Order: sequence, then C-alpha cells, then structure tokens
Amino acid sequence: MIKVKNITKKYGSFTAVEDISFEIQEGEIVGFLGPNGAGKSTTMNMITGFIEQTEGEIEVAGFDTLKNPKKAKKNIGYMPEGVPLYYDLTVKEFVTYMAQMKKVDKKEIKEKVQKVLKETGLEDVQNKLTKNLSRGYKQRVSMAGALVSNPKILILDEPTVGLDPKQVTEIRSLIKSLGKDHTVILSSHILSEVSQICNKVIIINKGKIVAIDTPENLENKVSTDNTIYVTVEDNENKVEQVKGQIEGIKEIKLIQENEDKTKQYMITGEEGKDLRKLVFEVFARENITIFEMKKVDVTLEDAFMKLIEGGEQ
Amino acid sequence: MFAVMKKELKSYFLSPIGYIFIGAFLFMFSIFFYSEVFNYGYTNFEYIFYSGSTVLTFIVPLITMRTFSEERKNGTEQLIMTSPISITGVVMAKFIAAMLVIVITEICTLMYFAILSHYGMPDISTTISTLIGFLLLSMSYISFGMFASTLTENQIIAAVISIVFFIYNWFMAGTSYSLINMFSKFPYGQIDIADTITFVTFIAMLLIISIIILQRRKSVR
Repeated sequence: MIKVKNITKKYGSFTAVEDISFEIQEGEIVGFLGPNGAGKSTTMNMITGFIEQTEGEIEVAGFDTLKNPKKAKKNIGYMPEGVPLYYDLTVKEFVTYMAQMKKVDKKEIKEKVQKVLKETGLEDVQNKLTKNLSRGYKQRVSMAGALVSNPKILILDEPTVGLDPKQVTEIRSLIKSLGKDHTVILSSHILSEVSQICNKVIIINKGKIVAIDTPENLENKVSTDNTIYVTVEDNENKVEQVKGQIEGIKEIKLIQENEDKTKQYMITGEEGKDLRKLVFEVFARENITIFEMKKVDVTLEDAFMKLIEGGEQ
Repeated sequence: MFAVMKKELKSYFLSPIGYIFIGAFLFMFSIFFYSEVFNYGYTNFEYIFYSGSTVLTFIVPLITMRTFSEERKNGTEQLIMTSPISITGVVMAKFIAAMLVIVITEICTLMYFAILSHYGMPDISTTISTLIGFLLLSMSYISFGMFASTLTENQIIAAVISIVFFIYNWFMAGTSYSLINMFSKFPYGQIDIADTITFVTFIAMLLIISIIILQRRKSVR
C-alpha cells in the first residue's frame, strides 16, 4: 500500500530524516514511535505530500507522490498534529468542506458526511462552530475530516495527545475499528498505545529507523535477562550472604531502603531460569520475610529505551 | 477549486471582515459623493471612484492579509496542501473569492448611480469603463495583498507590507510609476489598452509568484 524508498529530508545542513525505507501492506495498523523531534511527523508529512523529500521515492496506493500527487493524495486521509480546523465553520460544514476538497462525488457528499458524523459520534454537535468544541471533540472533527472520503490510507499524527483518559480509550477503539477497512499509520510517543493498537511498529530516532517489527517481537528481542524484584524485611542484613545458596543467580542488587525498614532488591538470574521458588525457599529458611516478589516482564517501553540507547552509542 | 472559493467567500461574510470592507468603502464613498456632488455640484459618478481608489489602501489588506497567513498559522494549510487540489487552484480560488467581494462592493455603489440618474443623466458608458477600471485596480491590489500573505504567517506583517506598497501607489499617483495612475483614464471613458495590459500582467505576475512561493515551500518547509 505504501512504499517508502530511501527517503532523506534535509533542511540546509540539518538532516531531519536520513535514508528511511519501509513498506506497509494493506490493512495494517502501523505505529511510528520515537522521541520528540525524531522525524515522525516529517516522515508522515512526506507521505501525505505536504512536504517534499530531498531524496528518495514514496509510492502511495501505486502512485508516486511527486509524479502523481493528486491521485496519491486522494487515497490518503490525514489528521495533522495539533488538529487544525477552520474555526468559522460548523462541524458539518467543515466535514462537508473536507469531502469537497477530497473530490467526493457531489451526490454522495451528504450521505457520506452523515455517515462519518455518526461513526465519530459528532451527530449531536454537528451544527456547533468548531471553535466552541472541547479538545476531544475537535480531535474527532479532525478525524471525521480525514475519514469522510473513505480513503484507503489513514494517517493520524499524535491522535490521542491532549485527551482525557476516557476520550483516549474511545479514540483508540475507534482507530482499532477503522483498521478493519483502512490501512492506518499513526504516530505516538506513548508506547502502551502503540502496543495496544498496532500490529507493526516502526521505531525512529534521530531521523533513522531503529527497528521495524511487531510489538511482541520487539519485546522478545530485548527480554534476555531474567529479573525479579523482592521486597524483604531483613534486619540482620542476610540477603547478601545467601547469594551462594541460590543456584543460578547472577546478581543481587539493593535498589532502595524503604521507611518501614524493608529493602527492595533486584535479583538477576541466568537466562531462562525462574528463580522465584528458590528465592522463596532460601529466604524462608534464613528468616528473611518476603513482603513482595514480582517478576518483571519486559515491556515495549524497555525495548524502546534499549533500542534508542543502542542507536545512540 | 470551486469548493475552496465558496468557502473563502463564506468566511468573508461569516466573519465581520466582509461587512467591514464593504461598509468602510461605502462610508468613504458617501463622503466623496457628498463633497463632490453637493459642494462642487459635479454630477459625476466616475470621479468619486478616482478618490475611492485611495480607500483601497487600507481596506484591501483586510481581506487579503488572512488568505495564506491564517492558514499557515492555524495549520489548516496542511489540510489544503494534502488534498488533491493543485496550488494554482487554491491561489485562483482565493483570488476570485476576494475579487467577488469587490464586485459586491461595486454593485452596492450603483445606488449612487441610481441617485444621480434620478436627478440627471449620468453617462452609462463612462460608468461602465470606470467600474471595469476600478475592478482591475482592486484586483491588482488584491494580488499584491495575497502575495504579501504568502510571505509570512503573521497577518499584521502581511497587512503592513501591503499598506506600504499601496501608500507608495497613492503618493506616486501623478507619475507613471503608480497603479492608480493606470486607472486614471478609465473614469474618462477610455479603456486604454496599454493600461489594461499592464494591470493584467501585474496581476498574473503576482499570482504566479505566489504560486511559486507556495510550491517552493513544500521542499524547504
């Protein structure tokens, strides 16, 4: 659906995006992930045709974005960052205007506008001026504008920024349902969001792609260590001494001492070994009271931090 | 393109700008009308437009300063530029919308013509040539104002750039280096080919420069 081949974007001597290539298949929900200023929006803006790349080619639904911009743009619904709207129009007028600009067939406009207003839950406010709406509603109006022409590809730049938790959940489930008939690209710096919605993640840092994979694979990639956290009451400081008694242990590290005289340790074991049972037995024998013990799952957050740090070194 | 034009025109009249433009012009026009007709006893509709051309200095920026600056500032240019409409289409649509505001204003001024025809016999052919000339003058002002608007995302700066250029035209009105001077023959019923061509080329040139600036911004943005 989207083919990006070796694109580079330079502003003078500053390179915002460097030699990025990837492909997105039909029906995928892809998340662009990266810290602020990594080049997410720049990449998206190049796909939408808002800016031109310095080098490289982009193909959208089979059309080159530079040679055949009109046809490429017709296949894209775009919700820009910061949800720009025409504030002197009502919701319905705005969505209708977007439909006209996207060259929706005149006879279908009315019907399509009503359909999309319903889908995005804007029916009740359709005659309100967009400037009088709350942030969450503005976001939906922007989304409706992107959706109204029923494009094959939806590009959403930071779709959940500035929303309250309830609205975030609503928008997320809306995006998920849209993924059934659209190819969706969204950018975010919220990792949990991407791992929930997307089935493919592209991590960008400093204008370069660090990784392209499914969220699960990315998590697996970095989950090498086998770490547990224990909080214990240990007045005689025996924890350090029992290290030798537990087989397969690599490291015990004191993380913090709490006010209630308990201490939290991080215990790292050898790969593929679950230490929890052994730790429990040994600690019990040594009269160390365990208050809490938890095994840490590697999250996308860790994967992300690791990949980004790896890229910087 | 038609959709953009319609929306622009609608925006002029959804906001006070369109009304302020027409109101301010008609107010000044009435004063000129009063002084020329009652003080000097002229029954000439056309000369008022010559005086009226100076009013354009301050009111044309009202409708042109926002054309591109506002879109850029609000980010709505992202919506336009990612739509399957060419930049040329967008520029033309905005230009025509602004021009229609002038046309509406001119239609409003016809009431003075009606007043004059009630008491005398104003000349129809010079009236028509004046209206054509005034429209050409306004269109060249609009094209300059729009060009100024493509330069900056700050509407005030766009307005100031336009006003400076228009004041120059006003002060140079007696010389051949002024657009107002190009207009000066129209109220006498002359549609001067050279002047008309100069107007049209001026308009075309500024619209093309605006298009180029917007197109260029794609690669440097």
